[in-house]
Amino acid sequence: MLEQLLIFTRGGLILWTCKELGDALKGSPIDTLIRSCLLEERSGAASYNYDAPGASYTLKWTFHNELGLVFVAVYQRILHLLYVDELLAMVRRGFSEIYDPKRTVYNDFDETFRQLRKEAEARAEELKKSKQMVKPVNNNKKQGQVQKAGSDKGSKKSGGNLAADGGDGDNGKGRKLENGHSHGNHVENEETRITGVVNGKENTSSNISAFDVSKLQKRTKTGKKTDSVVNKGSKVDPKTKVTKKNRVWDDAPPQTKLDFTDPVDGNGNENIVVVAANQGESMMDVEEIISSDSEGEEDDDDDVEKDSKPEAKKKGWFSSMFESIAGKANLEKEDLEPALKALKDRLMTKNVAEEIAEKLCESVAASLEGKKLASFTRVSSTVQAAMEEALVRILTPRRSIDILRDVHAAKEQRKPYVVVFVGVNGVGKSTNLAKVAYWLLQHNVSVMMAACDTFRSGAVEQLRTHARRLQIPIFEKGYEKDPAIVAKEAIQEATRNGSDVVLVDTAGRMQDNEPLMRALSKLIYLNNPDLVLFVGEALVGNDAVDQLSKFNQKLADLSTSPTPRLIDGILLTKFDTIDDKVGAALSMVYISGAPVMFVGCGQSYTDLKKLNVKSIVKTLLK
Amino acid sequence: MQLYAAIAVLLMTTLFLFSIRLFRRTKSNTIVLTGLSGSGKTVLYYVLRDGSSHQGTVTSMEPNEGTFLLNSESNKKGKIKPVHLVDVPGHSRLRPKLDDFLPQAAGIVFVVDAVEFLPNCSSVSEYLYDVLTRASVVKKKIPVLICCNKSDKVTAHTKEFIRKQLEKEIEKLRASRSAISAADISNDFTLGVPGEVFAFSQCRNVVTIVEASGLKGEIAEVEQFIRERVKP
Repeated sequence: MLEQLLIFTRGGLILWTCKELGDALKGSPIDTLIRSCLLEERSGAASYNYDAPGASYTLKWTFHNELGLVFVAVYQRILHLLYVDELLAMVRRGFSEIYDPKRTVYNDFDETFRQLRKEAEARAEELKKSKQMVKPVNNNKKQGQVQKAGSDKGSKKSGGNLAADGGDGDNGKGRKLENGHSHGNHVENEETRITGVVNGKENTSSNISAFDVSKLQKRTKTGKKTDSVVNKGSKVDPKTKVTKKNRVWDDAPPQTKLDFTDPVDGNGNENIVVVAANQGESMMDVEEIISSDSEGEEDDDDDVEKDSKPEAKKKGWFSSMFESIAGKANLEKEDLEPALKALKDRLMTKNVAEEIAEKLCESVAASLEGKKLASFTRVSSTVQAAMEEALVRILTPRRSIDILRDVHAAKEQRKPYVVVFVGVNGVGKSTNLAKVAYWLLQHNVSVMMAACDTFRSGAVEQLRTHARRLQIPIFEKGYEKDPAIVAKEAIQEATRNGSDVVLVDTAGRMQDNEPLMRALSKLIYLNNPDLVLFVGEALVGNDAVDQLSKFNQKLADLSTSPTPRLIDGILLTKFDTIDDKVGAALSMVYISGAPVMFVGCGQSYTDLKKLNVKSIVKTLLK
Repeated sequence: MQLYAAIAVLLMTTLFLFSIRLFRRTKSNTIVLTGLSGSGKTVLYYVLRDGSSHQGTVTSMEPNEGTFLLNSESNKKGKIKPVHLVDVPGHSRLRPKLDDFLPQAAGIVFVVDAVEFLPNCSSVSEYLYDVLTRASVVKKKIPVLICCNKSDKVTAHTKEFIRKQLEKEIEKLRASRSAISAADISNDFTLGVPGEVFAFSQCRNVVTIVEASGLKGEIAEVEQFIRERVKP
């Protein structure tokens, strides 16, 4: 049964709740829905799941964009109610007739709602009865027919259930079975396996249990795998009978000295005179001058006009001009479609991941549907404005990105502020770690580096060089040590010698590599850093979505604590290599919800910037 | 000859009217309600407008604005200027909306949750610091009223305690921020007097702090503040 149905304005005032539906909701599902879903531009999703101690709800919603109202229905997750979408649509229609901006009490709606609910429930009952009538008839037929009818039924059922658990639909790919009932997309597959069984339900449950055990075995097998870092120790071949001759490529004289490393003294320590690197002010502290917006708007209008002209128009030119002047009655999905498609293509040419562009466009469509077009505006300009607002909202950080403040807070508690840099191979973790260290040094914060990349050859030396140039201590234990232990000892060392910040460098790893991800999760769990910084390059395309979601998922799954640490911030690197294809920033922020804290734009110490939200949005929509 | 006289008179009158319009500065009647998400701004807005918060509120996604007479004054006779009250959402993703309303504000009410004050102390002070260092606020010396909401609850902190905590936190912020900007918002100005511990009395605009309770309707001091800003 429905737990609650609320109607509230976008400004936050609750206009109506159903009084007959019992007790108060546990936790605060509505606020969480608004904060984690609607304000995160995920309003195109079908439903939202909320877990509180003692209850697990699913929430569905719909908007009335013209009046600025939101309708939310809350029900228990284990009940897959089929009639919620219909009910919401009917409630929306009924309420918009009696809505008045001045009124704040709508007690007369109780009666209307009671009727609507009865109607919707009755309709759902009918549907269920028709399905149940089909079921026993099928079981008497032959095997082949059972399969065919079973799959039909399954598809119908899953079609019906898809509406109810759109949110669970994502689990359809893997065979993840949730506690409680396992309806939904699995029914289709399972019923085709039935081989002449009396009661389909029994078999599915036995199938489920059978599958559970096998899955359990598979899981324990992977659990037993040792989580040692793959060690490709290259063995030098001692016996080379034929000595190699230097290859001559062209007429250039053969070079005698090929070794450019620095001179080494007795114990392997390089004894060069090192001058502390001082290359001026880091670009983090330089204000970026944002060009005036008026120029951009004019350009936008011209571009949009050129874009809209070649678009195939269903109606004539005159009628569309007339509509744009007079103001259309209500925006329908078909009208938004061409404008949204053009916008989506534009976003994708700017290197935004395809999935993200799709979801964003759905979210914008959900917020514009049914809205009245103001006069003298085109559909495309309204869509553009809405998209711009949505982009600004996504890129604006949800939490403070003032690291210096957090460093000072940690300093007062006499513990070092630990930052862990994670990411896939070759994105620039070590380089940007040095840049961040340089910036922190400029603000009189004492930094220590921890070389926990114990796999890649030269990683420790690289950090050692940076540490020497910046004249900061570095904690290293060489290669082939457990990074988690090295990090732990580094933090202890930092507490001992009073460093304010510890920057931990880790080895690059692909998001699909299970043992490496487990090692990373262990490092994070063991040391509980203050900031987990995901380093991603701006050149990445659709893989950004995969990288970030898998990293987050693995960190959540493989962590043994009840509240797993996820990625707290993003460091975007190689920003100078992309001209205006800045979409990777948007993909990463959207998929992970973490703000972009730094932007690396070059290979020297000063090339570290902050993300300028307005200029990114302008570039994306240009 | 007469033509020239006519033109001259026309010019004089237009100039006269223009100069009157320029010099007669219309005083703004906008009051901005701001604060962290969950501090009770929307409740306060509706209590000021209607006297009660009706059936409750949820997190706002858009600003609430309206021009009206305050509820307690609806019975008073005489010419009272209606107040343009704006309730800006406190959610961090919607912070840029504050910039739309601040320039025309005649007064700012910064709502603080007096019950859940300590866990959010740093975010509250950061937001307050941002507001107090905005160019529009400093230049126009917009007065700020810090309203400790939910003070009807037993576990609510007193306004003195909150004031001291805020001053301490802002002092720390002053040290760590100096001339650094946060995200996109640039702090054009710094607060306080260098060398001295920060106190609200050092601000060039007037900062006062009161206790109130939106749900119970104890908002007399807030109304007084609003009335002082928006003179009839």
